[in-house]
Amino acid sequence: MQKKFEQVLMPVATKIGNNVVLRSLRDGFLIITPLIIVTSMFLLFGNFPIPGWADFWTGILGKQWTDWFSAVSNSVFSFTGLLSCFGISYAYGHNRGLHAVNSAAVAIISFLILTPTSVQAGKKSVSAVETVFLGPNGIFLGILTAVISVEIFRFAVKKNWTIKMPDGVPPAVSQSFDALIPSALVVLFFFFVRIMFSLTDFDTAYNFIYSMLQAPLKHVGNSLPSAALYNFLASLLWCFGINGPTITNSVWSPIFFVLSQDNLRAWQAGKEIPHIYNQQFIDMFTTYGGGGSTLSLLIIMLTICRSKRVRELGKLAIVPGIFGINEPIIFGLPVVLNPIIAIPFILVPVVNTVLSGIVFSLGWVPLTNGVMLTWTTPPIISGWLSTGSIMGSVLQLVEIVIGVLIYYPFIKMLDNQYLREEKAAEVADVDIDFSTV
Amino acid sequence: MKVIVLLDQIQAGLGGKEKADTELGGKKLAMGAAETLAKDLAKKDGSLMATFYCGTAYYQANTDLVQGKITRMCEKMQPDVLLVGPTYDYPDFSRMACEVGLAVQTGSKLPVVAMVASEKNTELLSEFKTQLDIIKMPKKGGAGLSDAIDHALALCQLKVAHADRSEFVSQYCY
Repeated sequence: MQKKFEQVLMPVATKIGNNVVLRSLRDGFLIITPLIIVTSMFLLFGNFPIPGWADFWTGILGKQWTDWFSAVSNSVFSFTGLLSCFGISYAYGHNRGLHAVNSAAVAIISFLILTPTSVQAGKKSVSAVETVFLGPNGIFLGILTAVISVEIFRFAVKKNWTIKMPDGVPPAVSQSFDALIPSALVVLFFFFVRIMFSLTDFDTAYNFIYSMLQAPLKHVGNSLPSAALYNFLASLLWCFGINGPTITNSVWSPIFFVLSQDNLRAWQAGKEIPHIYNQQFIDMFTTYGGGGSTLSLLIIMLTICRSKRVRELGKLAIVPGIFGINEPIIFGLPVVLNPIIAIPFILVPVVNTVLSGIVFSLGWVPLTNGVMLTWTTPPIISGWLSTGSIMGSVLQLVEIVIGVLIYYPFIKMLDNQYLREEKAAEVADVDIDFSTV
Repeated sequence: MKVIVLLDQIQAGLGGKEKADTELGGKKLAMGAAETLAKDLAKKDGSLMATFYCGTAYYQANTDLVQGKITRMCEKMQPDVLLVGPTYDYPDFSRMACEVGLAVQTGSKLPVVAMVASEKNTELLSEFKTQLDIIKMPKKGGAGLSDAIDHALALCQLKVAHADRSEFVSQYCY
């Protein structure tokens, strides 16, 4: 059974894991993640979920204090499309063996070529760029522009369509001339793309990509089956030793990223938050203590299990587990290639996904605000901060308890097996004394 | 076929990086990741004789002592083969496995098989691959772990049976 699963899963997982475009998407989002986390903190401080918080700081700092914090958060959240284009083109260029900086520069220029540069102000047309084109709604255009521009650039470099400088010319100058013809080709391509779209009803590439690609994918991604499938696959792959989220994020991260950004913009603007399923939903309300929601498993290991091995591992792994690190459990229990633990390891995140989906749909907990907390933020705190409501923490607590109940019979099976081994070992004295050699 | 496996503190289920000072020790049973190996060994009419474990920092501070003690303990317990790893792409554990493996192979007549991932271990592999049979395995979270374990155990069997393994080694080892 396990072998059959592996035979089916392995080639697909390897293919997705090794696909250079998908890998670059994942790596590209990781490049901008630190900026999102840092600026999220400013956004969170400006909108902390405590009654009277804003008035308290207005009393101390004056009315303009929210503008100071917004300036920082807007520097990233109003430009996530442009930043995605930068991160992904940098990663894709690097993964394709090009100068990553050149790749990123040419992609950003391509993105800006496609961006409308005039704004209607009354009867006058003003030369300006609206942030709506550069923000969350432009993320998919940013992704496509990044991949296509780098691919054209690479094509020209591969064909050796470069201007070679004589020896003795400084490398920086030589590199600049190397990029001349490939860059020209990319710019020319996007020049024609812009003209082409202006001749259609879409008017801009932005309108075309948003309505034909981003909006439908958002619709598919923002659903219970999508979130449940994400967690099912991520956990299933871990059971075979494959880092599941690395594979699933390659496919889902652009969609979840856009959905989170939509929520964040709505929350920031004080509007109704639109999406249930997004990155925060996955990170904060489906797994606790790392993949497989192993915090629930750790609680039983510490409190109910009796074998020394399981209890000791529980003690050692509980603190990292609270902060979402479960490496000691994955390899030390182990979870990897362990058919007994595989069942709850897959089941618990899926059950959490379904339960959270229902609870959010019923409005019992406010939807996640899109603020990206670091993945090490412990549950209970993360539930409160990501929803602005103590009900978020309550939901997390309930799901941790449900996880305990699901894990219980399986870990007890393992615990009993270890206990038998330990009892036999007591009689047989299994400790190896290295002081004798 | 009786196998002893050498693991670091993470793979032995004795904690994370913070437990790298774990002293050399061992138990005559399967610990942590060795549990999977023991099950696969049983399918091949083999058995896991013992799990040796050592924290990577402890090893680095006591290299000669650990190598000597493991070599002498192997001679005393007389397994058919010593399996060092699976080390994944943990560089410290990979170095410990290769160095201890080579020390045991040189210092005793015991056959040794190592399991190391190429990621983060390029220099280490070029240093040891001609002296030690090192099975190719995926990095942490990579695809193909189960196959790599199968290959490692198959190589153990070939070594114990003193069979020709040149083709096997050229296919599955570095």
